[in-house]
Amino acid sequence: MDLEKKTGTGRCELMGRKNNELLRTENLTKDFGKLRAVDNLSLSLEKGEIRGLIGPNGSGKTTVVNLITGVYRPTSGGVYFSGRRIDRLSPDNITHEGIMRTFQVARVFADMSVLENMLIPAFTQGTSRREARHRAEELLDFCLLGKLSNEPTRNLSGGQTMLLQIVRGFMRQPLKLYLLDEPFAGVHPAIKDVIINTIQKMNREEGVTFLIVSHELTTIRRLCSRISVLHGGGVISEGTMREVANDPRVIDSYLGG
Amino acid sequence: MVTIDWTLLSQYIISGVVIGLIYSLMAMGITFIYGIMRIINWSMGEFYMIGGYLQYIIITHFLGVENWYLGVLLSMVGVFLLGMVVQGLLIKPMFQGSVERRTEYATIVTISLGVLFTNVAVIGAGPFIYSPPGYYHGTRILTLPVSGTRFVAFIGTIVLLSLFYLFLKKTWWGRAFQGAAQNRMGIQTAGIDVFRLDQIAFGIGVALAAAAGALLAPEFYLHPRCGSIATMKGFEIIVIGGLGSIPGVLCAGLLLGLIESLGAVFLNPSFRDVYGFLFLLAILAIKPTGLFEERERVA
Amino acid sequence: MKEISYTKITGFKWYSLSIAALLLLVALLPFSTGQYYLQVFTVAFYYVILASSWNLLAGYTGQFSLAHHAFAAIGGYTSALLVTNFGLPIWLGILAAPLSSALMGFILGMLCLRMRAIYLAIATWAFAESVRITISMTYEITRGDLGLAVPKIFPGIGQGVAYYYLFLGLAAMTVLVIMFIIRSRMGYYLRAIRNDEMVARVMGINTTRWKILAFMLSSGIAGIAGAFYGHYNGLLTPVMIDFNEMAFIVIMVVIGGIRSIAGPVIGAILIELLTETFREFGEIRMVVFALAVIAIARLYNEGAVGAVRQGAQWISRRKQAREGVN
Repeated sequence: MDLEKKTGTGRCELMGRKNNELLRTENLTKDFGKLRAVDNLSLSLEKGEIRGLIGPNGSGKTTVVNLITGVYRPTSGGVYFSGRRIDRLSPDNITHEGIMRTFQVARVFADMSVLENMLIPAFTQGTSRREARHRAEELLDFCLLGKLSNEPTRNLSGGQTMLLQIVRGFMRQPLKLYLLDEPFAGVHPAIKDVIINTIQKMNREEGVTFLIVSHELTTIRRLCSRISVLHGGGVISEGTMREVANDPRVIDSYLGG
Repeated sequence: MVTIDWTLLSQYIISGVVIGLIYSLMAMGITFIYGIMRIINWSMGEFYMIGGYLQYIIITHFLGVENWYLGVLLSMVGVFLLGMVVQGLLIKPMFQGSVERRTEYATIVTISLGVLFTNVAVIGAGPFIYSPPGYYHGTRILTLPVSGTRFVAFIGTIVLLSLFYLFLKKTWWGRAFQGAAQNRMGIQTAGIDVFRLDQIAFGIGVALAAAAGALLAPEFYLHPRCGSIATMKGFEIIVIGGLGSIPGVLCAGLLLGLIESLGAVFLNPSFRDVYGFLFLLAILAIKPTGLFEERERVA
Repeated sequence: MKEISYTKITGFKWYSLSIAALLLLVALLPFSTGQYYLQVFTVAFYYVILASSWNLLAGYTGQFSLAHHAFAAIGGYTSALLVTNFGLPIWLGILAAPLSSALMGFILGMLCLRMRAIYLAIATWAFAESVRITISMTYEITRGDLGLAVPKIFPGIGQGVAYYYLFLGLAAMTVLVIMFIIRSRMGYYLRAIRNDEMVARVMGINTTRWKILAFMLSSGIAGIAGAFYGHYNGLLTPVMIDFNEMAFIVIMVVIGGIRSIAGPVIGAILIELLTETFREFGEIRMVVFALAVIAIARLYNEGAVGAVRQGAQWISRRKQAREGVN
């Protein structure tokens, strides 16, 4: 399978960055009126890692994703991508930086077919129709969605829609950073496996860095090398699953709320 | 130096404010329906027209002009029932999963409804202009002469608006409606049948428009297209006041009446309708959500 | 009102059928009908242009604008006034028309950029009404309700055939342009914007640019149509900017089939034909149309085009079954 094209990893190194940091948030804060959803959040992602982002409900996980992808403007603080500040960019410009994201409730273009959904991220890059189609079909086949490529997406099951949403992001080349918001929620175990395989494959072969928001701790443990725990809009713990699970602050936040 | 004829000015202002308030009734209907169902009913003007026609038939053929207020009430009831039927057939399906793109659907359907009603009116009542007799003899507000019909229509509007206010604040139904406007999902989990609420809300909304039509019937000629002016005023009011805000509607209605009168007095009286409209454009350009912004619905 | 995917149909058969039908229309008509129906079809082609261009903005891009008739009027009056007041040649006036209407489309689009669907409808309605009021108020220039006399493209009487082919050509060009747009990347972007604007942005689509472009294209085309109409009809009145005209466009597109290329074509020709043929029925025509729109919107969103498609699918399925048996 010919997905082993040159990826962003090489290009980033060319930019002369010695350190391996891909994404950094600095004192990131977001207020909604009186509500402080994200509070002085500092997060750092290394190239090529698969990071889990967990935390009790309302801890601000989705808001963080929205801040990184330009859906929200931070009240204060900044987001840096490969050293460049990106928090002022519009969502479409963020995408052009090589950052993609999925939504908690799978959002696809309902009136368009599966294949057409896949083509769009490639089109916005200027990829030719033939090339885009080729890659789309490869990806769809890998994810076992190949047979459905001409189906209107409204005919897909919930899990299939989530899978489509995720696999659509890989059409962007190079994909440097992929933020997945609850990709496993309510998804059939068989499809969950496909998602996990795809994430691991893309990470391995194309060097895609992942930040995965999820409640499913077993899956997170399987996938992620490092985990950040969010509570009250800030990171309260970071480390491997074992370190984090034994951290009394984390236990407190989940139990105490 | 322009010498101001205060008498004339006050007359104009009062007259304008009165009309503005009566149109607020209709705007109230538009906003109320929007608050519950988040749709704009583009055929409100036609319900206004139907209300006017019903009133005309009732007072000229059955009850007589002395009982004009009964006529208004009966017109409201009639249009309320019509509204419930329309809602059940056309609007309800929007919320039951069989319609996909809601706003587009609601716009298409309510515009078509307006066309339907207007043309049915021409077929049924002919393209003639009807003029119901005035409700009351000319009288005075604060020593200023005002047309009798406007005077009693004004009273009637105040009565209806007050009843509506009490209904919303004090009755169970009213609070259910307020709840639905704020949190539709929450209301459902509280065990209330939202679809039933929708239907009644629609009925009430169009009944308010019908009331405005019935009250103003003798004042402005009754013909199949008289609804379009009402629609325009109604929309002006909700844009100026802000969709979904009940006090906003009232203020905007008074403001509109005031602006139109002042424009008519100081500028050109034949462009009376334009001034309010210019104000609407200004609001759309500067603060499109209106002077009294709507609260975002929670769910 | 379930929307089935519109991307699928036995492609080649469908298109060759409709093109053949079109050629038939072109060839036969001027020979088989009198001046009256020639005029009816000419006006029908005018509405084809309006319906198709509105469908591009409202049907495909999801911007349900209620100002389309206003752009036609802007184009029409611009050209007419330039020609009558400044002595410009007609073709120059017609060239100027889309400039003014596209400019207004740009302004309106910018104003409506962040508006939700409801406010967009109201804002575009208000815009159209203000154009109407402006035309009425400046009656010294526009002649208001009396009507503005406009020099004709083909002066004299008995030019029905010439106008027929002119508007047929314009309509065909419009449909081709729109077909080209929908099948291009722009078409994908517009459809994506309609489906889910936020996701479209996240996929890298500059939704601002494409929405504005859609506004300008559709209003520009409407402006050209309006200009040609003025120089065909010889008279421009505010009737063309009455809200009924907008309702008419909506009716045509919905009955023909929103979000399809052929829908507005079929809808415009069908409705215009029916309107003229049954003129003596008066208001009943509009009652029937309104009911049809309501029924289609409520029950079967795809309109006439959808019905034809389903028929074709049914036929091909029957054929497959029969061949399967053999």
